[in-house]
Amino acid sequence: MRNRLLKILPALGVLIVATLLAGCGSKTEVHDEWLESARLDADETPEELYTQALKEDVLIVYTVSTRLTEVKESFEREYPGLLVEIRDLRSPNLVSAVEENYQKGGSDCDVVICSDNSGDFKTRLADTGIVTGYVPKDIGKHFKTADNGQEGILSFVYEAEMLFYNSAEYESCPIENIWELTDEKYRNRIYMPNPLRSFSTYTLCTSMFQTESERALENAYRDYYGREYTTDPKRSDGEGTQNSCAALFWSRIAASTVFTNSSDEVVEALSNGNADFGFLVSSKMRFSDIGFSMQPVYKLEPFSGCRTSYSVSLARNSKNINTAKLFIRYLLGGEDGKGEGRKPFDTLGTWSARDDAPDGNPVALEDIDLIIPDQDFIIKQDWTEEFWTRLLVKN
Amino acid sequence: MKRTRLFPVIILVLIITGSLSGGCAKIQQPSVLRVAIPYSDKIQDVNTNYYIRWLEEKTGLDLDITLIRQTRPGEYLDALFSSGTDIDVVMFGGDFTLSDEELGAFTEAGDVYSGDGTGMYLNYGATARNRAGQILWINHEWLKKLQLSVPTNTEELEAVLLAFKNNDPNGNGKNDEIPLAGAVDDYAYEPYELILNSFVYNDPYHSRIIRAVSDSQSELQTAYTDEFREGLAFCRRLYEKGLLDRGMFDGNLSRLREMVNSPDDIVGAFTSDSVSDVIYQGNPEIMARFIHVAPLAGPDGVRNALYKADKPVCGAVINAHSKRIDEARLLLDTMMTEEASLIARYGERGVDWDYSEGSDVSIYGGASTIVTFNYIWNTSQNKHLNGIGPMNVPDKYLKGVTWNGINSDTEYIDGRAQMAYRDYLPGTADPYERDEELSAYLDGRVKEYITGSRDVSNEEDWKEFISGYDK
Repeated sequence: MRNRLLKILPALGVLIVATLLAGCGSKTEVHDEWLESARLDADETPEELYTQALKEDVLIVYTVSTRLTEVKESFEREYPGLLVEIRDLRSPNLVSAVEENYQKGGSDCDVVICSDNSGDFKTRLADTGIVTGYVPKDIGKHFKTADNGQEGILSFVYEAEMLFYNSAEYESCPIENIWELTDEKYRNRIYMPNPLRSFSTYTLCTSMFQTESERALENAYRDYYGREYTTDPKRSDGEGTQNSCAALFWSRIAASTVFTNSSDEVVEALSNGNADFGFLVSSKMRFSDIGFSMQPVYKLEPFSGCRTSYSVSLARNSKNINTAKLFIRYLLGGEDGKGEGRKPFDTLGTWSARDDAPDGNPVALEDIDLIIPDQDFIIKQDWTEEFWTRLLVKN
Repeated sequence: MKRTRLFPVIILVLIITGSLSGGCAKIQQPSVLRVAIPYSDKIQDVNTNYYIRWLEEKTGLDLDITLIRQTRPGEYLDALFSSGTDIDVVMFGGDFTLSDEELGAFTEAGDVYSGDGTGMYLNYGATARNRAGQILWINHEWLKKLQLSVPTNTEELEAVLLAFKNNDPNGNGKNDEIPLAGAVDDYAYEPYELILNSFVYNDPYHSRIIRAVSDSQSELQTAYTDEFREGLAFCRRLYEKGLLDRGMFDGNLSRLREMVNSPDDIVGAFTSDSVSDVIYQGNPEIMARFIHVAPLAGPDGVRNALYKADKPVCGAVINAHSKRIDEARLLLDTMMTEEASLIARYGERGVDWDYSEGSDVSIYGGASTIVTFNYIWNTSQNKHLNGIGPMNVPDKYLKGVTWNGINSDTEYIDGRAQMAYRDYLPGTADPYERDEELSAYLDGRVKEYITGSRDVSNEEDWKEFISGYDK
């Protein structure tokens, strides 16, 4: 009896592991029925997709960008008979909602638009196959970076999480070095979204710990304070931080900063005079068009922020696959990049990811002092939540 | 063989002893309490509602719920008491509310159980207390299309409204834009009341009187000041130019809602207490169209935000003719506890919300006390009664709630607006007691001056106005 049990144990183990993996939504089998019927590699014209889409239900889009409401309105005008429902969520909530929907076996989501730099999107949605890429061949060739490490999921626009200053208070940016933000005179005059509730802010905070960023931050420290940065053995910023220069910077900033729920609140604080500086997502620059007094800091020693991007993907099990494909084509601007669907993203502070569709920004993304986040590095930093929780509770 | 014979005997003994022991330890049936609740489309099914079931478990009562379909609470209570219908508790909420005067009449008649007090179990928890009661919301899509800035003062507001009227911001080629819309149902929807606050502090809820805060001061009737008159003249100008909605003096809230939520995009701006009073919660596209405007500066730089100290409303009463007064009190006292009130406001703990560790930011700024996972207030749900019934949610939770991450969430949108108005609230939080007759007199004149049936620039008329009520 004991021998028989020993014989079947390895097989049982394999079975259990396989079951657990399947339960976790691991992408172990890509050639499933849904994927085959979705025909993601097919050459389909917008007209063909439209004809098929008319037989489908309301398209549900989960997005972190309010601008999708404008895309929805013009899409419905362009394709009468098709309806789109927008669910506008903050990134962490969006990832949880899409994940939950998938785990419940639901199909209450067709298209997902999310900030894709923090690692959460990649590890929880892309790597598990809960979302999958769709890049129309005729359009995909025009994207500057077709693969951002997420198996074909397209980053369709670039933005930045960066520093802005109050332009009603200052004619030009009053600082040249990022360490100046830690000066006493700016205490409670800096606003930024809670990094534990904003993917792009989290990306900025964590990418500062990348080796190159650390060195740059140390050099800026030396330039500003006139002495080398040295690790104080008495100081403890918590496990994982190794008392680094970035940990010191964020500890000091957290003590001077008013944390908010979103970039919108930072925009309002800059404009109503409560803030001198704010870290926020660059796409909010468009609010300066309607009188909000804020200007981006393009040049700062050693950096003003980090680059971010937004991806568009299909939710696995989408039942409105033709409408979803048509919507993604539309959002990307169609074959020539000039379609209406791209226009809401053709604004200040959003940079085009297409090589054939320039954006209207006065400064190219490459010319701004920005960190390029290393997603693999960011994913490995499992201490950051504790680090930030401690700072937020303390301050 | 022996076993076979014994078996029926054993069974018989078991049945007898089972019956006896069952009789001895008879499970006591829970008391049935008959509760009437106004119908709400925000509650999916009262019989399976999480909060109702939680209350049953907590109190040991069996709640037999009757839905009230009538819309007038006074008439409902009249019918209830005259018919002798067996209802123990009546709950109120939403539009189904009972004033102090109405309640007083029922209590005096001996129909409402008063116990040691008024007989009213209060509802305190729908909104954060002590806040701005009127916010200006503007269509920023129109601003963008016309390349205009958010107005910061009354002069800029006039220019923006004029552009809204003349430049076809909805792009349909028709002159169908309503620059600044309103409704007659409440001061919060009357945009001229907000504009007047850019000239002098104007609190129509309290008869426009500023209470004296020291012996050396006297009460100030702000409606009789030169600044108020100047404000009226400004509003009159907006009205003459067609910038104020002509229908706001007799059109109701339903009309305002229809206009603002119209897919034809015809409204440029409106005022309200909460944005959800006007824009439907399930309409994120319309919600994304409007942003709040901070209090406008008047010609002399005056900016005020209208203070609103929400009085708790009636949440429930006990039928004095009930034979289950103690059980009714048990239920309502339980509903007034913090534990129950948090369920009544936020839903199931651990599923819809939980206490915060303090690392989140409240929607009103500052550290959070409550983290919401599913923000279900004002949505169709089955976790609570959406504000119906008594509750007492401590302010630290109402003001400490975090954002659920949904951009169209109205509590978050309202919270941000409140922060913009907070600095312009009056110093005192003790407003003058409202005088209904005086208010009716002043409100009538305000309307007449703005619509032009009286001339606000006429000295004789103005003199008559400011002395008129005393006559």
